[in-house]
Amino acid sequence: MIGGLFIYNHKGEVLISRVYRDDIGSQAADSAVFSSSEPFPWTLSRPCVPFPLRRNAVDAFRVNVIHARQQVRSPVTNIARTSFFHVKRSNIWLAAVTKQNVNAAMVFEFLYKMCDVMAAYFGKISEENIKNNFVLIYELLDEILDFGYPQNSETGALKTFITQQGIKSQHQTKEEQSQITSQVTGQIGWRREGIKYRRNELFLDVLESVNLLMSPQGQVLSAHVSGRVVMKSYLSGMPECKFGMNDKIVIEKQGKGTADETSKSGKQSIAIDDCTFHQCVRLSKFDSERSISFIPPDGEFELMRYRTTKDIILPFRVIPLVREVGRTKLEVKVVIKSNFKPSLLAQKIEVRIPTPLNTSGVQVICMKGKAKYKASENAIVWKIKRMAGMKESQISAEIELLPTNDKKKWARPPISMNFEVPFAPSGLKVRYLKVFEPKLNYSDHDVIKWVRYIGRSGIYETRC
Amino acid sequence: MPYLGSEDVVKELKKALCNPHIQADRLRYRNVIQRVIRHMTQGLDMSGVFMEMVKASATVDIVQKKLVYLYMCTYAPLKPDLALLAINTLCKDCSDPNPMVRGLALRSMCSLRMPGVQEYIQQPILNGLRDKASYVRRVAVLGCAKMHNLHGDSEVDGALVNELYSLLRDQDPIVVVNCLRSLEEILKQEGGVVINKPIAHHLLNRMSKLDQWGQAEVLNFLLRYQPRSEEELFDILNLLDSFLKSNSPGVVMGATKLFLILAKKFPHVQTDVLVRVKGPLLAACSSESRELCFAALCHVRQILHSLPGHFSSHYKKFFCSYSEPHYIKLQKVEVLCDLVNDENVQQVLEELRGYCTDVSADFAQAAIFAIGGVARTYTDQCVQILTELLGLHQEHITTAVVQTFRDLVWLCPQCTEAVCQALPGCEENIQDSEGKQALIWLLGVHGERIPNAPYVLEDFVENVKSETFPAVKMELLTALLRLFLSRPAECQDMLGRLLYYCIEEEKDMAVRDRGLFYYRLLLVGIDEVKRILCSPKSDPSLGLLEDPAERPVNSWASDFNTLVPVYGKARWATISKCQGAEHHVLELPNTASFATSGPLIPEANKETVQELPESGALTLVPSRHLTAEYFEKTWLSLEVAHQQVLPWQGAAQPGALQMALQVVNIQTMAMSRAGAQPWKAYLGAQDNTGCLFLAELLLEPENSEMHISVKHSEAQTETLTSFISVLETVIGAIGDIKS
Repeated sequence: MIGGLFIYNHKGEVLISRVYRDDIGSQAADSAVFSSSEPFPWTLSRPCVPFPLRRNAVDAFRVNVIHARQQVRSPVTNIARTSFFHVKRSNIWLAAVTKQNVNAAMVFEFLYKMCDVMAAYFGKISEENIKNNFVLIYELLDEILDFGYPQNSETGALKTFITQQGIKSQHQTKEEQSQITSQVTGQIGWRREGIKYRRNELFLDVLESVNLLMSPQGQVLSAHVSGRVVMKSYLSGMPECKFGMNDKIVIEKQGKGTADETSKSGKQSIAIDDCTFHQCVRLSKFDSERSISFIPPDGEFELMRYRTTKDIILPFRVIPLVREVGRTKLEVKVVIKSNFKPSLLAQKIEVRIPTPLNTSGVQVICMKGKAKYKASENAIVWKIKRMAGMKESQISAEIELLPTNDKKKWARPPISMNFEVPFAPSGLKVRYLKVFEPKLNYSDHDVIKWVRYIGRSGIYETRC
Repeated sequence: MPYLGSEDVVKELKKALCNPHIQADRLRYRNVIQRVIRHMTQGLDMSGVFMEMVKASATVDIVQKKLVYLYMCTYAPLKPDLALLAINTLCKDCSDPNPMVRGLALRSMCSLRMPGVQEYIQQPILNGLRDKASYVRRVAVLGCAKMHNLHGDSEVDGALVNELYSLLRDQDPIVVVNCLRSLEEILKQEGGVVINKPIAHHLLNRMSKLDQWGQAEVLNFLLRYQPRSEEELFDILNLLDSFLKSNSPGVVMGATKLFLILAKKFPHVQTDVLVRVKGPLLAACSSESRELCFAALCHVRQILHSLPGHFSSHYKKFFCSYSEPHYIKLQKVEVLCDLVNDENVQQVLEELRGYCTDVSADFAQAAIFAIGGVARTYTDQCVQILTELLGLHQEHITTAVVQTFRDLVWLCPQCTEAVCQALPGCEENIQDSEGKQALIWLLGVHGERIPNAPYVLEDFVENVKSETFPAVKMELLTALLRLFLSRPAECQDMLGRLLYYCIEEEKDMAVRDRGLFYYRLLLVGIDEVKRILCSPKSDPSLGLLEDPAERPVNSWASDFNTLVPVYGKARWATISKCQGAEHHVLELPNTASFATSGPLIPEANKETVQELPESGALTLVPSRHLTAEYFEKTWLSLEVAHQQVLPWQGAAQPGALQMALQVVNIQTMAMSRAGAQPWKAYLGAQDNTGCLFLAELLLEPENSEMHISVKHSEAQTETLTSFISVLETVIGAIGDIKS
């Protein structure tokens, strides 16, 4: 259980504080403030400023984590026997505080969920947004946690309780009231009954992030794809959906009858290392038949999350060449090769080539895109807007160094890359998504379906 | 945030809240209330507008209601009498036709943490438990726990508990889970909620209907259930199988723990489970959510302690990437060090070597220590890598390598030769205390194999005057004496000089004592010195003690998925020990007043307290309601009962003093920082009869005196003198340590 939840900005000012339990704070955290090297918050002339209620936990976290001089050693910090779990989003710190022996994974998941919910309401989590939506956040915190225990956290279901516009209780219609009752008593917690749309539509996004660590010789040290299938559904009634993809096990099972189909599709099927599903998917059916069937929540949700490590299509290859010419000069040449169908276009390509700390000047020549040396980041940043498949581009740079007597060798950080490609690097393909609604009269054919694949770079690094 | 101007702000807000024009305009009214909440968030004391806020609660605007209730829950303990005024509105809302309003009012009412509220909330809670809207039932169920918490240790209401048990069969999944949570808190003293066979089976069947938080919670409660037969056990495991592959890592870990505990008599099932969660765990370890990744890595390490080979084939998953945060890198290095085996040792060492030159000195040192860990099994390769690292001539690398060597030579004596060859030359690159100590120890113990050992030590002896770390000087004394035994001719002269310096000029007591001790030892004769100093040079058997190989799964299964793997067992033990002491305090029977009473001196400190002279009649207890505010008020209202002056040398030591005072249960209310002149501190204490002692310490360094003024809430000279003597003893003791 969570004793309290605090949101700080980067300066350590408290933006939101909600205390659920009395056991956090009080005198326990006092000693932390005492023992820290920071000056005391009160001066001699006013030796007895009353400590505002439970401020100590709040202050202790600021002093020990946000203002800490060294790098943060752990996302879980124990100050005066109180555990602080923190998550950072841009320059906002979210901290959950507890005195109990809780399970860390669950608390972090809760913080992520909290971030998701907030993002669903007001977009990016930034200081500005948090200040503007301050009432809403308190409302959310009230509903999501009670007495420190997580309650309902589905964005869709929460919408019924959150009254940001402040609906007057009298004006609320009978219908809405009964909705609350039925929504919270229904057997299916994630969908309310009686949803109607004029156009039945659904959107499927296959979002993947491809991670790579490659040695200078071009050997793959580790590569994996973590992907998500996100579905946005605008469907009436209680539709029963069935989702199919080119999962190896399913394809092989089906292909048993016709041998040549296996050989045809065998190449295109992929091996999924592990996958997890949204609560709505019937796991028993997946285990027995490997079929994914579910009644979707209304609106956007994450249908499944998966990970593959085999046969990954690496969209780009980076070939670095670094030559040290004397003590004051470096020559760097980097070639990038796109490795996908020529008809597809990769976007937002960015290559970061790190430079030594004592760089005095850089001259860059590149065939495509724009390259710039950014002294503050110690890197050459090479940006290309678009690039088709099976192409090659290169950049060469001469780096002049200041002579130093620092014996430290330059550690040569890896070259990292960012990009976006319109296919799934794991090779995953959506084969079908069927919709059945027995009670209402619309059929699978009437539903408009959209499928989109986006592959992004996760940590995509090549050592040099 | 205005630092001192809170009075003005309160005044202004008060005016605004009372303004009938603002009250008439809903939006403006709400805005003022928002400002109050905002100031409250920033830590300003807003209790001054309580009355006005209570009035604002009588509104039809739900948002305004929510804000006001939030305010009231925060300040009700400070203004219990005024809060009672709000109860009326709340009670009315509890019977509102809108379930949302009912739930909100009930929740807020239960969260008012003030004495006396119980009698008002009991009936609404009972009504809420039978409400037709599940939203209200959820709130009411947790309300029971809140009410019990308020009561403190009053007897458990049997009827209520039965009602809650029957609500375990409620339709709504969240009500069910809340029931478990609530029962757990209410029945804490009886060992928590009882999970018998029907309840367990009922919960198992409802599992798939719950959300992830509920699932995690129920899995935790099911740990308590003991299946009657093997058949039932395996039925349960089959039923829960799908949760090992759940979407949420928290549920996966919860399920894993349950499997491990239920199958504690079937080791093969346990291993099987660990194999099955490998995938999800690895996925969590490489997920983009870094904090989750950290938690997963901690658990991977835990598993590796019992099954060293478990993740060996996946070693590449634990290679660090450049942009990962520090804490993940440190964990990954530890994991790599644990999973090394014959097949991957080459690649892992190659990778670790790469980290040793990382920009972050901290991480580089961690990598070097990890290589040291691997070296216990693969000595030769590692020593070679470490020796190469010395060639980089970098301070932080050299010191870490030398420290690693020191430990390695002790555990794996076969590498002594290689280490001795690598050492010459690295003294130039060591500046910190730890590194110097390690180097000096090595030179002393294995000096006969290092040709230039005496010359290196001679350098240290030459510069001993400017040496800042006493520990290094002590190490130097021991090392030189040891080397003197094996190479007397080269060392005699400098040993003499060092001993002279240590005895005649050194200011640090410990070093001086050590010097004197060796000097007298040498006077007794060389044989005696040999007998005492020549301990064994290494002892590989100690490696086993330090690192007990392959702990059985059952030894940590109950700690899995708690904070223990995150903090480490030893650290958690200290944390929970202190917590245990606190619990002890909380569980003592509360009398009508707030004051806790009873012997609160931790076992370990008891002796010290009893030894204090003349403290016989007086027992000080830590007072929980002695706040700074209260202290100030009392201090101003009392006369000085006693004044005294004690001798004191030099500056004050707030840290030490505060700790010492804590031991005898004297609370430090406020204290100026070290070095301030004049230096002041305010202390407070309470004895078991409830009288208060307040004291002021004033230190004026130029007179070397500590002025003590004591105020006492009751005029009893007996206890007053004993309190003063306690205080005197503590201050005297701290003063002694210093000078």
